[in-house]
Amino acid sequence: MEKLEIKATNRTPEVSFDFDNNHLKISGESYPEDVTEFYDPIFEALDEYLGNLGNSNCRFDFELIYFNSSSAKAIMMLMDKLDEAAEGGGAVEVYWYYDAEDDTMEELGEEFGEDLDHAKFHLEKMED
Amino acid sequence: MLTLAKDLFDLRSVLQKKHIVIAYSGYLNEQVLGGVGDAIKHKLSIENADTKTIRNVFAIFVEQMQNMIRYSAEKSPPDADGPLELRYGVLTIGDEDGEYVVHAGNLIERADVERLRKRLQEIRSMGKQELKALYKAKLKAPTEEGSKGAGVGMIEIARRASKPIDFDFMDLDRDYVFFALRACV
Repeated sequence: MEKLEIKATNRTPEVSFDFDNNHLKISGESYPEDVTEFYDPIFEALDEYLGNLGNSNCRFDFELIYFNSSSAKAIMMLMDKLDEAAEGGGAVEVYWYYDAEDDTMEELGEEFGEDLDHAKFHLEKMED
Repeated sequence: MLTLAKDLFDLRSVLQKKHIVIAYSGYLNEQVLGGVGDAIKHKLSIENADTKTIRNVFAIFVEQMQNMIRYSAEKSPPDADGPLELRYGVLTIGDEDGEYVVHAGNLIERADVERLRKRLQEIRSMGKQELKALYKAKLKAPTEEGSKGAGVGMIEIARRASKPIDFDFMDLDRDYVFFALRACV
């Protein structure tokens, strides 16, 4: 499946979904003008990929510095989709990287991570 | 005699006396949010505020601006509803006793006052753990009717604030009430 690459802007994160290598990543800041417009194509590509994941491995990295409350809902939906794929047999690992100077993002990582019942969750400090 | 400079300087002085560093009053859109937001980040980083403080101030600013962009009852054109509408709000960032204070104010319809007051009183009375639980519950719940966002903006503000948020309502006329919200970081 073709890569999904979206460059970061001031208000939207960088998206790098390398489907062939089963490595997906979203990084930066997320407070888009229109959350639906930004995240819908991402959900669509992810659904297609996870639908064919089967028992394969998949790694998803969140490296977010800041996201607003409307993006939080989108992030929770990403997590739900990943957990569902893990429930269906995929070996899904979710990494949540947080800035050591901002424990808010660590706390949010914990909160999102504790909802994963099937995918494996890792909470890690960002490297400088 | 022309008092142009004096008039404008007086306005500026009123703001400065209240220790307001950045103020925006007027019609809002997402571009205003983006631009003013960049200025806030820049100003705070010049002041050597720590990373967490800058992000908390910024996060509160974003939620307050988006609340006003979506819900202010003062809009142009008056019957607008959609991407072309502009809504009016006032937002200030100040420095009080070593804390950053973000104020936001906008008109709301009288019919919405009690619902908002009840919701804010509830949020105001909650501790960090309760706010965390409510934040998650709201994220999981289907979007509330009449809501254009996830309905978690106010909770996000309360979570990022260093003490309970303050709010106030002022009667304007039969239909409208002015709503003000204050959060400290």
